Amino acid sequence: MTRLSQIGRWALYLLLAAPLALFAVYAFSTRWFFPQLLPAEWTSATLARVLGDGRVISALRDSVAMAGGVSLLAMVIGYPAARVLGLRQFRGRNAAWLVLFLPTVVPPLAVGMGLNILFLQLGLAGTLAGVMLAHLVPALPYVVFTLAGAFARYDENYEFQALVLGASPARTFWSVSLRLLAPSLVVAGLFAFLISWSQYLLTLLIGSGRIITLPVLLFSAAAGGNPATTAALALIFLAPPLVIIAATARQLNQRPGDIREQL
Amino acid sequence: MTNVNLIALTKTYPGQPHAVLQDFSLAVAAGELVTLLGASGSGKSTLLKLIAGLEQPDAGDIQFDGASIRPLPPHRRGAVFMFQKSYLFPFLNVGDNIGFGLKVQGASAHHIRGEVARVLHLIGLPGSERRQPGQLSGGEQQRVALARALVTNPKLLLLDEPLSSLDTEVRLNLQAAIRAIQRELGITTVLVTHDLGEAMAMSDRLALLSHGRIVALDRPEVLFHRPPSQAAAQFMGVSTFLTGRQSAGCLETPHGRLQVACAAAQAGAATYAIRPEHIRLQKAAGENALAGCVLDCVFRGEYVEYQVAVADLDVRVRMPMPAPRYERGAQVYVRLPAEHLFAVA
Repeated sequence: MTRLSQIGRWALYLLLAAPLALFAVYAFSTRWFFPQLLPAEWTSATLARVLGDGRVISALRDSVAMAGGVSLLAMVIGYPAARVLGLRQFRGRNAAWLVLFLPTVVPPLAVGMGLNILFLQLGLAGTLAGVMLAHLVPALPYVVFTLAGAFARYDENYEFQALVLGASPARTFWSVSLRLLAPSLVVAGLFAFLISWSQYLLTLLIGSGRIITLPVLLFSAAAGGNPATTAALALIFLAPPLVIIAATARQLNQRPGDIREQL
Repeated sequence: MTNVNLIALTKTYPGQPHAVLQDFSLAVAAGELVTLLGASGSGKSTLLKLIAGLEQPDAGDIQFDGASIRPLPPHRRGAVFMFQKSYLFPFLNVGDNIGFGLKVQGASAHHIRGEVARVLHLIGLPGSERRQPGQLSGGEQQRVALARALVTNPKLLLLDEPLSSLDTEVRLNLQAAIRAIQRELGITTVLVTHDLGEAMAMSDRLALLSHGRIVALDRPEVLFHRPPSQAAAQFMGVSTFLTGRQSAGCLETPHGRLQVACAAAQAGAATYAIRPEHIRLQKAAGENALAGCVLDCVFRGEYVEYQVAVADLDVRVRMPMPAPRYERGAQVYVRLPAEHLFAVA
């Protein structure tokens, strides 16, 4: 590696880490006045206060449950869709792609308003289930896209092999298909989790203010204008995705060719 | 041991005008190895998929020991498959790959360990349980795939060009190994290949397939020496055919008169064929020798291959070494020994 690319690499790290470092400094600071470069006093009281807040804990719990649920649901729906799109050629395939990808180009506000009217009629507005369904709209395209890419490189003969050796279709699915696709499933699930995790607009619109997730709390704290509280909340907001990414780093690093037979 | 009966199988894929298989029937005796030889698109791989249950026929029946297996899903048929690639599960080691079939059928861990060791010994890779599929050579991978197929004690072994991606030496070794194991276990086997040498070396009987139909079916040596039809003869590497009027041990062809040893039953129009290695080139005219001109000459080691034009007829000749050398453009006589000319339909 050349010296220049080393410098570039560290510059990129710095650029990405700087806002996070600033959050950390804010969250643990007290009495930080201009023109001091760093706060005069440090405290963990803000973080402790925020973590002690029942609303924060319940929002954290709801957010994790919701993002996890959306992720699972998106995979259950996305798997068969991606399988057909990735493995089969059929009339209307391109149209199916277009429909699946529309949510990524249509402004979320438009999607949210439309869904809100529909969900009000269906009695889903203001419910956890309604918000989760709304989160599926932006999450599903990424899951389908990731898995369809995996299926395009997938060889069904592995499944045939398992079947003729006596494995039932269900056993083949769990023991062979899912094992072969595991790296892509992890990536797809992570996408869905992160998309749901960072949803603010759809949660607010469909949740009718009754479903309080971490982003909702975070926005109201930011509007409230207390930088230390906002920064502490932001750190809490960051933690679960970081833990999940760290836990799945091995899968994320897998090269795309690994799904094929290793010769 | 299981006998297999394929009865009037027909298969058409949507959007394709011609049937891949048309009214296809074949009976395989218990413990027999039957090879399907044909070019790609002749329907041979489709046939294996129908037998294994990976595809459904439009019409016809498949019977194991006289009972129809058409209603059974692939995992209940007991017909194992071996593909050109090994399809060893990359997330399992060799032992777990081989034990997969027994495990899904609910065998005990102790039983599986014993059986895996047994078949690893059978395929000549004892003690390889802990190795990973990626560490094996191509030939070893196919050996393990064979072991994985055999360990479940299947009724039928289906081999779909299992050796065609291997180097010549490995391929020849594995041909012999598979044949020996197949004989020892007495497992009924259907092999699909496009390699004539492999087909002849491994088969009890050989079925020549063209466009979803059997052109000829017999023991390899019979098909090799006396193919019944022109199409069958072409499969077996014959390219010289002479058509003419036959009478009293003679064939009057447009190229000249030829003596024939095995006279066909009745006089009239007839076609005779001759294998390239039975044709000889000579300088002087003589009996059964047709005048021609050398078009091409290729040295192949054990033999020299000539292409000779006799009027509008292209004659391929294999002269065993050492052979007299004829240059391109040389005028020669092509001798077709009477005892090697045989009639084809």
